[in-house]
Amino acid sequence: MSGLIEALASVVGQDGCLSRPEELLVYECDALTLHAAKPTAVVFPRSTDDVVRIVEACRRFGTPFVPRGAGTGLSGGATANEGAVVVECSRMNRILELNAEDRYAVVEPGVVNADLSKAALPSGLFYAPDPSSQLACTIGGNVAENSGGPHTLKYGATTNHVLALELVLPSGAVVQLGSATGWTVGYDWVGAVVGSEGTLGIVTQATLRLEPIPEGVETLLGIFADVVAACRTVSGIIQSGLVPAALEVIDRRTIAAVEASVYAAGLPLDAGAVLIVELDGPAPALPAQVERVRGIAAREGATRVEVARDDAERQRFWRARKGAFGAMGRMAPDLYVHDAVVPRARLPEVIEKVCAIGDRYGLKLSNVFHAGDGNLHPNISFDRRDSDELERVIAAGAEILETCVEAGGVISGEHGIGSEKRDYMGLLFSEADLDAMKRLRTVFDPDGVCNPGKIFPTTRFCVESNPRARGYDRVPLES
Amino acid sequence: MIPREAVQRIAAALGEEAVEEHPARELDGLAVAATLRPADGEAVARALEAVGACGLAAVVKGGGNRLGIGNLPNREALFLATERLSGVDEFEPAEGVCHARAGTRLAAADAIVRPHGWEIPFDAPGETATVGGVIAAAAVGPRAHGHGRPRDLVLGLEVALASGQRTHCGGRVVKNVTGYDLNKLYTGSFGSLGVIEGAWLRLRPLPERTAVFEASASRLEGVGARGLAAARRATARAVAIAVSVRGAECDVRFAIELAGDAPSVERDAAWIEEHCDARAAEAGAVDRMRALQGRDAEAFGLRFRIDALSSRLEPVLAQLCGRCTSVLVYPGLGLLFADLRLDRADAGQVDSAFRFAARSARAGGGSFVCESAPAWAKQGRDVFGAAASALPLIESLKQRFDPGRILNPGRFAGGI
Repeated sequence: MSGLIEALASVVGQDGCLSRPEELLVYECDALTLHAAKPTAVVFPRSTDDVVRIVEACRRFGTPFVPRGAGTGLSGGATANEGAVVVECSRMNRILELNAEDRYAVVEPGVVNADLSKAALPSGLFYAPDPSSQLACTIGGNVAENSGGPHTLKYGATTNHVLALELVLPSGAVVQLGSATGWTVGYDWVGAVVGSEGTLGIVTQATLRLEPIPEGVETLLGIFADVVAACRTVSGIIQSGLVPAALEVIDRRTIAAVEASVYAAGLPLDAGAVLIVELDGPAPALPAQVERVRGIAAREGATRVEVARDDAERQRFWRARKGAFGAMGRMAPDLYVHDAVVPRARLPEVIEKVCAIGDRYGLKLSNVFHAGDGNLHPNISFDRRDSDELERVIAAGAEILETCVEAGGVISGEHGIGSEKRDYMGLLFSEADLDAMKRLRTVFDPDGVCNPGKIFPTTRFCVESNPRARGYDRVPLES
Repeated sequence: MIPREAVQRIAAALGEEAVEEHPARELDGLAVAATLRPADGEAVARALEAVGACGLAAVVKGGGNRLGIGNLPNREALFLATERLSGVDEFEPAEGVCHARAGTRLAAADAIVRPHGWEIPFDAPGETATVGGVIAAAAVGPRAHGHGRPRDLVLGLEVALASGQRTHCGGRVVKNVTGYDLNKLYTGSFGSLGVIEGAWLRLRPLPERTAVFEASASRLEGVGARGLAAARRATARAVAIAVSVRGAECDVRFAIELAGDAPSVERDAAWIEEHCDARAAEAGAVDRMRALQGRDAEAFGLRFRIDALSSRLEPVLAQLCGRCTSVLVYPGLGLLFADLRLDRADAGQVDSAFRFAARSARAGGGSFVCESAPAWAKQGRDVFGAAASALPLIESLKQRFDPGRILNPGRFAGGI
């Protein structure tokens, strides 16, 4: 193995290659601490050429590799299964071009999400995908996971904003995919690579669409007696034909956690749930839209609806939402965040079922989620040292996913499958469906060396959970 | 000529009513003498199995509007028509999504969702355009500027692979990262990877108000900039510019469609009237422009679709007008459709036209596709232009999805 370490260090220098156990510890997992695997080494390339040489070295020594952004992922997508080398892209963090006229930016993968919008601000533009971790997460990670965020409802997820990619293939070859015009000839490779969780190669450059900053914004905070009423309001808004920029629900337990933390936003502790509604767009449109939302919320039983009077108040509303995950650190040592999506019209009934599941298993389950997309985030606070509680967490999680799939939903809206949910893929996909995905995988990575052990289910679970999947283990990765 | 026993074998698999032998219909020089019309997804799968077993190939046919886009077929093929896969079988007005079978015409689907305040957000030209055809061709019209492109609107697909395996990808929800996004690969693949059976679509709410404007000009200067400025108004749903070139002169017509809430549309309407020297027009103005996009090129004519960066629209348009008879521009989308007329059936002139299209695309920072050309002009050329470094990936994907080269044989990028 020392031969590999030497080869990697010759590419990135000693200060760009970690291999001592104490150095590797922090790279054993991403933000989902339930899944961990020890990498052989962690390397910090500074250029596409470095990445190519790292990949070539790994191939020479028969060691797999996994690209990693800021490690904020929530599905174990960046864990170094099979002793993989972690290719940490944080030092490739330059904004290479910001073209205001054509509304795009060319960036390296290690650029922090929020930094791009900051850089585009003087041009009256912004980068729309805004994951809750946007102050830390990087574009490379966003591309790998097809990250969303509160404003996905109107603006779409990462896939709707990536125009072109430079990708180092697992063979070491470099390909340019897509175009800054947003049009491409042949297959939509950019669309296939975005959201592929780093299993098709390592993104070394991304061309991203920038949006004009909307001329007006109104942010409302609706107070409800219970989370179901807040969800009914969401359904009512969607059905009315309004397309808000964001529709976010925070439930009672989350409110309590937030208000007890440094993120306290003055939310009423006696509320069953609050709903943040953000409307943006042409200024003349907003007053009428605000009134429509007020009317729908009142009809569904809102006890109060506040409209942010200024930017400071808007930030206060959002502080509660964006600080929610941090605040949950007060509730228990560990947090398991689920990410299923259900048809929006089914939200009220599904959220009731999800809460009932948490209660039945005796768990601290709270909800803060992208209601407008139907993207639930049931958060289970627990202590993994308590093996009985851990078992209940896992069992409740499985039941939540099954409930969402039964309602016509899917198991991940923005966090990805990673190693966390791969054994639940059989809930949604048949053997033939997964085989089609594998065919794509083998185009890019016929040997399965790029981020192994992600997305695709292990045979045992797949066969047991889904009779259609029988024989999946006989589908070779190579073809 | 398709062997009689092959037709009989396929008819046995599908039923006699699903197989029509007919006088040869030309598809880029290939005589297609039979059409398969499977009644459902299961029948599509059986049809593909039978076609493969007979050593034949199939060209999927939706409304038939985009069949002319492609390279010359490299083997004998049948049409596999989706017209019996028709209907919107699920529609959730509370959700803003619907599931349509592939052969459903856009107008028919729209008629179902519109009374509930939604619209099908596809805008491809052609009255017979189908949901599956639009997705397979990633076909857009001018309203894609406001609606988004098919890649952004398809939530899930059911696809029969060449092997006859039936698969699905994506789902019915509006946000989804569960597994690879194969929706994106199938969208715009021109039926080269599988046959789309049906699709979940994200609908758009009907706007409260629309307003349509027309303008004209006799000079090219500033046309691109004017169109782009109009397209960047908040409520602009479609902007189309048709340029007819007559020697040193030209005739320029604009059609602009605004859509949204009433106060914003009224505000933008005033801006359009003042800054674009435009006047109110009837609702069909944009559709008439779109019809130009849907026309086949004239005899001895070639039509190129070129994409360009916004900042380069103006010079690319000027360059095209130096040689083309007409150019249709969608400035908000960065698309130009350019018609070239050849003097005669001469391969040298075609070479020259392709080089010109490539130069224009390079100047615009984009790419080109020759969307309409007589079969003789396609000989020895890739109408999709250069697929560059992705070509090995294209070939590899085709090999994995359709190793028998059954689907749309030879016609997609790279001649696969």
